Amino acid sequence: MNTAVTAVAGNPSPTLARHKLMESLLRILTRCAAITVLIMLSGVIISLIDGSLPALKAFGFSFFHTESWNPVTEKFGAAAPIYGTLVTSLIAMLIGFPISIGIAVFITELCPPKLKQPISTAIELLAGIPSIIYGIWGLFVLAPLLQKYVQPLLIKAFDGVPGLSTLFAGPPYGIGVLTAGLILSIMVLPFITSITRDVFETVPPMLKESAYGLGCTTWEVVRHVVLPFTKTGVIGGVMLGLGRALGETMAVTFVIGNAHRISHSLLAPGTTISASIANEFTEADGTLYTSSLIALGLILFIITFIVLGAARLMLLRMKQSEGR
Amino acid sequence: MQTRPNVELMKAELTEPIKDALTEKVSIRNLDFFYGDYRALKSISLPLYDRKVTAFIGPSGCGKSTLLRILNRMYDLYPGQRAAGEVLLDGKNIIDPKTDVNLLRAQIGMVFQKPTPFPMSIYDNIAFGIRLYEKVPKADMNDRVEDALKRTALWDEVKDKLQASGLGLSGGQQQRLCIARSIAVRPQVLLLDEPTSALDPISTAKIEELIYQLKADYTIAIVTHNMQQAARAADFSAFMYLGELVEFGTTDQVFTRPREQRTEDYITGRFG
Repeated sequence: MNTAVTAVAGNPSPTLARHKLMESLLRILTRCAAITVLIMLSGVIISLIDGSLPALKAFGFSFFHTESWNPVTEKFGAAAPIYGTLVTSLIAMLIGFPISIGIAVFITELCPPKLKQPISTAIELLAGIPSIIYGIWGLFVLAPLLQKYVQPLLIKAFDGVPGLSTLFAGPPYGIGVLTAGLILSIMVLPFITSITRDVFETVPPMLKESAYGLGCTTWEVVRHVVLPFTKTGVIGGVMLGLGRALGETMAVTFVIGNAHRISHSLLAPGTTISASIANEFTEADGTLYTSSLIALGLILFIITFIVLGAARLMLLRMKQSEGR
Repeated sequence: MQTRPNVELMKAELTEPIKDALTEKVSIRNLDFFYGDYRALKSISLPLYDRKVTAFIGPSGCGKSTLLRILNRMYDLYPGQRAAGEVLLDGKNIIDPKTDVNLLRAQIGMVFQKPTPFPMSIYDNIAFGIRLYEKVPKADMNDRVEDALKRTALWDEVKDKLQASGLGLSGGQQQRLCIARSIAVRPQVLLLDEPTSALDPISTAKIEELIYQLKADYTIAIVTHNMQQAARAADFSAFMYLGELVEFGTTDQVFTRPREQRTEDYITGRFG
């Protein structure tokens, strides 16, 4: 034993030096990887700001609230794409979120074991479908169906109802803001579902059993125990879905109609930020046109940033109100 | 050769030393339980007497927790698990599929191995269960919450922070909160599944003291790994082994004059 101690203490250099070297190498490499993220992020921000400066200088603050988008007279305003982006995402979340929660609750609480795997796999497949497929499916299948059956029904149903009649007014085009929102809701569904399912499964069975043990129904357990226990994860899932909805380009471009105007009706064509950029980048001649599109990109970036920030703030508030 | 314990015979013996008449709150009769094809309980027959504490003891895997979870039909949550036989609560078979499980579980409270406070305030942890089945005015609700917390000796420790999260309490306090939550809905039977296995000795002593007080109002069944706990807390003990009920009797008799060799071996620590 004595010899072993002296062997280690007396001859430490090769092994220890190698360990030390590996340690510092690992530290440097991981730090570089982390810094890369920061460099890329700031690079994107800088180039976005730099690219959008001409447009912001030319139009000033009015760029944000001007509706017109006229390449001929070179008058550009971002109001319509901003509106379209927010409204389509809102529709997507309003439809997608409850369905996702429903699927997740079914899978984790009520589903017979035999069905569990097929449904989970189907949801993962849904997430794997490229957005261009959703786009053409939306344009050739969903939009005609909506035009023929659903939209006339909506117009008829809400005719004369104050508020709602303006939301569902006008001729049924098939394509439009509502259709884009529907497509988006299908696209965000797998994201929210798989995350909520995963966090629902982290609830300790004993905690659920204690709620059932008090006489709770499945709904009461979900509402009062599972959701509060997993709210951080669920909100994370919603934000991921919202991020996707805000930025989704191809599918929306196909079905939204690409009209630079704000219409009160959800059935009317509109546009989103990403759809405008995708549609017009190739034909943008002149610095002002290009710069305006880049400025749109910057706005999308800011909107996404605000959404994430709001989510963080919300979670912080929740934690404080719990007194933890 | 082993003989099935004769419950009727035991009862006849019991009634001698115990002066007051015993009434059977829960009667388990020829109960079998299956996890899929595996038969986990074999023809168990056992009474739970009104306002008495009955301990289920036995080595791991003997089926004592399984037996407890049948009494509030917790197994219903899991496909592939089923019970056969009779479990009578005041003469009504609760194994019957027609019995409303939610109502049953409100009548039979359960406390688990680990404290499981809900992610809400201390007040709401207790009010939650009451609100499920009763519409109680705010002032009455306050009384009910206070009463439940006082019965579990938690009131003095939490009365100034009722709106704080139940998750912020210590382990022992959380477990007493869980017991308070169970008795707040005014059940008739209380099931305790190793309620002190995650607690320190002082908290354990408090829970045992609590069990002693609660049996004035409730019929209590407790699963425990701790022989001393069974000896201290229970009026009756049931020793189970490999899914069978080996011996049932007063705790005094089971621990000092066990009828079965296996019971004696287990209690004296020769296996288990």
